[in-house]
Amino acid sequence: MAIQAPPGAGTRLFHPHFEGHDQISARTLGFWLYMLSDALIFTGLFVAYAVLNNPMAAAAGPIAPQIVNQVEGLWQTYAVLGSVAAYSLGTVALKSGNKGGVMLGIVLSILLALVFLYFEAHDLLGLLAAGNGPSRSGYLSAFFVLVATHGLHMVFGILWMLVMLVQIPTLGFSANVVARLINLRMFWQFQATIWVLVYVYVYMIGAF
Amino acid sequence: MQVAIQGPWSPLFGRLTLDSIPYTNPILVGTFAVVAVIGLAVVGAVLYYNKLGYLWREWITSVDHKKIGVMYIIIGLVMLLRGFADGLMIRTQQAMAIGPNSPGVLGAQHGFLPPFHFDQVYSAHGTIMILFAATPILTGLTNVVVPLQIGARDMAFPYMNALSLWLTTAGAILVMLSLFVGDFSAAGWVGLVPLTELPFSPGVGVDYWMWAIQISSIGTTLNAINMIVTIIKMRAPGMSWFRMPVFTWTTLSTNIIGLTAFPVLGVALALLGADRYFGSHFFTAGNGGNLMLYTNLFWIWGHPEVYFLVLPAFGIFSEIIPTFSEKPLFGYTTMVAATFAIAGISWAVWLHHFFTMAAGPDVNGFFSVATMLVGIPTGVKVFNWMFTLYRGRLTFTTPMLWCLAGLFLLLLGGLTGMMLAIPAVNYSVHDSVFVIAHFHCMVLLIGAAMFAAVAYWFPKVFGFKLDERNGLMFFWTFVLATGIVFIAMFALGFEGQTRRLAYIFDPSWKAMLWTEEAGMMLYLVSIGYFVRMLYVSLRDRVPVAGDPWGSARTLEWLTHTPVPFYNFAVTPQVNARDELAWRRDHGLDKVQPEAFEPIHMPSNTGIPFIIGMLAFTFGFGLIWRIWWLAGFSLLAIILAVIIRSFDKNLGYELQPEEIADMERNLSLAGIVAEQPARTPLTEAEAH
Amino acid sequence: MSAPRSNPLDHPEVRQASAWRYMAGFISTIVLMQAALYVTTHQQLPFAEYAFTIAGLALAALLSQAALLFGLDISRAQIWKSVSLVLTVPLFILAVGLSVWMFQNLAARTMIMPNMPQPTLLQ
Repeated sequence: MAIQAPPGAGTRLFHPHFEGHDQISARTLGFWLYMLSDALIFTGLFVAYAVLNNPMAAAAGPIAPQIVNQVEGLWQTYAVLGSVAAYSLGTVALKSGNKGGVMLGIVLSILLALVFLYFEAHDLLGLLAAGNGPSRSGYLSAFFVLVATHGLHMVFGILWMLVMLVQIPTLGFSANVVARLINLRMFWQFQATIWVLVYVYVYMIGAF
Repeated sequence: MQVAIQGPWSPLFGRLTLDSIPYTNPILVGTFAVVAVIGLAVVGAVLYYNKLGYLWREWITSVDHKKIGVMYIIIGLVMLLRGFADGLMIRTQQAMAIGPNSPGVLGAQHGFLPPFHFDQVYSAHGTIMILFAATPILTGLTNVVVPLQIGARDMAFPYMNALSLWLTTAGAILVMLSLFVGDFSAAGWVGLVPLTELPFSPGVGVDYWMWAIQISSIGTTLNAINMIVTIIKMRAPGMSWFRMPVFTWTTLSTNIIGLTAFPVLGVALALLGADRYFGSHFFTAGNGGNLMLYTNLFWIWGHPEVYFLVLPAFGIFSEIIPTFSEKPLFGYTTMVAATFAIAGISWAVWLHHFFTMAAGPDVNGFFSVATMLVGIPTGVKVFNWMFTLYRGRLTFTTPMLWCLAGLFLLLLGGLTGMMLAIPAVNYSVHDSVFVIAHFHCMVLLIGAAMFAAVAYWFPKVFGFKLDERNGLMFFWTFVLATGIVFIAMFALGFEGQTRRLAYIFDPSWKAMLWTEEAGMMLYLVSIGYFVRMLYVSLRDRVPVAGDPWGSARTLEWLTHTPVPFYNFAVTPQVNARDELAWRRDHGLDKVQPEAFEPIHMPSNTGIPFIIGMLAFTFGFGLIWRIWWLAGFSLLAIILAVIIRSFDKNLGYELQPEEIADMERNLSLAGIVAEQPARTPLTEAEAH
Repeated sequence: MSAPRSNPLDHPEVRQASAWRYMAGFISTIVLMQAALYVTTHQQLPFAEYAFTIAGLALAALLSQAALLFGLDISRAQIWKSVSLVLTVPLFILAVGLSVWMFQNLAARTMIMPNMPQPTLLQ
């Protein structure tokens, strides 16, 4: 567009009947930006982990190869990606306004997420019971906080899903509910992306 | 919890006991008396004039970006005064406590502040000035101006805008409360470890500092999201990217920095919190902690943060200088490019805050070169402002004078910054007052920009100008004081005075320190002029209309003065960069819309205020380790968010007849006007 | 504020949902992670090659998620998400990369262990 439009017969100074901006797009972009800031939180946690992932920071306690189980991590990866697939396929049902389909996707997603969290809780509680909790060493602090922060994101995601299970039958597919469902889809996919990074860095490269 | 905290702890009150109130400290008792008197006077006035309902309906529950912006600025100005008081106490202590024979009063061996109290004063000074004075005032300014500049009716997320405000307020209340209940951090505004770890800071001070910053940082991050989406999605028709005013461009760039950098601060403080609350070993001196990790994470945020503060100041210069030179800004495209170059490079320079921490010459060299690179786009900006002034028809109003003073401070601060970017120089002056003088030049140019912007846009919001004569006296005394204090400080930096000294061991510094103190007295005079300026302006209230400066250029000046709460009666069509200047050149600036149509506005809501207050009790509970209070507050916040999500209120609609009335009689729609209750829309009506 | 749209279900971000894309995203990420595990447990690579291989597989997984799960492209509905992601990625690399480089230098200079070759000023 030219920087200056010369005034002429077609010059308009006002724009009546301006439909304004698209609410749903604004909300999803806003939520996407929040997710980028969340990614920066994980970046900070990865910096801490990268710096503390060394024998000095392990303070004669266990270090990465001794506490990560790569095969179990793969089962967790299946669970979390399956959960993402379930929810995303639920949003395919959204296209036809199929409330039951969306809700089924959400329920399956929650179940698979709980499977993931069961594995993770089992791991972390086992470490705590053996006296290898975050207060044992700097390395373990970093491990616990990175893994637990991801887990906490999943817990909030599940809470959000439960709220949506109430809102879909009661409020229907209003603009607000649809915006929330799309945001939740992005959030859920995002936390799976973070898990892939955790799996690859904490369980593999960092545990060489 | 696994951590061993000093002092008593009870399930009901946590660490809070009657001894937490410092009733034996005369300075704090005196401060409390003054605050109580002022507070009672304000509350008394509100009740006497029966304005409580008005305040709740029109201000506390407001989602209007202009009111939210004004409230941000008011909070920032109050905190600025507190921060100045702290600064005055630092200077006075250093002026008094010189040499082993200097007298000591009020329990101090030298001067009037014992070292532990002095440490809290400079920690509070830094924290408040950066995060609770400058940030809210700049946020408030962008909140008020940007939607108007792009031709929008409000921000993209009005509810979230209010939430950001009240979260920032919660943080500010925590900082102020630390004066009277407990104490504040004594570990500097940076909070270096291991001093901030529990064994070395066993009290609640560091917790106050940590949670105040964490809570207000959430507000800042949400505000960043809001501003970015507003600028991307809500520009008026015809306003393409390169027709946007430069202030909007700098706001976009600033908030990209804010969005990306503040989370890392959150991590640094959260990990410190994990150490203090869960006994983890991120930054402990032992058990595998890494002390430098904190410094690294903090400054990854800390450097972009200073650009978060300075870029809006540059944007303000870019608006005011063209207006009072009666010329368009020189080099618009390079200005925009330079803004983003600064933002981008600022993310790769943070180590220059700790050159002396043994990273080695390779690493230091990289960061040194990157830091110096930032000077290039900054120089581009300075030259663009110079070329805008060149052959312009200059008017030296107070906004213009503040901008020119800011440019001189930028020159001094920027050049000393380039000196500091050289590791060899840095090794000599690190942790000396040379560094303090450098960054005070920078923050005072931000302060100059803030005062310029407030004076410049005040008539747009309130319908009358600030008194020019008192404004001029405020300006001159402030600028003179700045020169006196900080040029003396540069000299003392070269003499070897280090930072954060409660006791001055070298009597030969006395002359310079007393010079600085004289400068502080002049600052007090300037504050007097500031208050007088506000009083006289409010008393006289000479109404102005349209463009009160006569030569304004951008879209926000097309609205009425004072601007009605719906901003534009009909969405404007943008035809040029500097739309108002273009219309004025073609004789079209007085044209009003002929017909009106319904305007959809968001409804007020009390939920952001409630969440803000719950955030305050959450922080208070965590600080004092009152677990039931913290838990209940967190749960209540989550519940409030969930309940709000079920809200079916879709706002209300202003009808054309109402709009026509308000356009004829602007006092019905101004910022202090009381609006009648209007029926909210339901889902069916909204279609 | 603007008036709400006609039917939320017509919005491009609702219409973009696609069963085959989500299944493809799921399967491709699983396959890549399986491959990464295989390399970890069955191959005996030196560290540098190992790290690059795993990082490459991870990068492929991230790209497939971006395109298949998130559906990022340069269409009008998605462009700002794509642009903001691309502009933020360098920040991850800078923060982690520069920090790691700095701490490695620091450790070499300050974490002096017994029987270690003495560091020189030229390090």
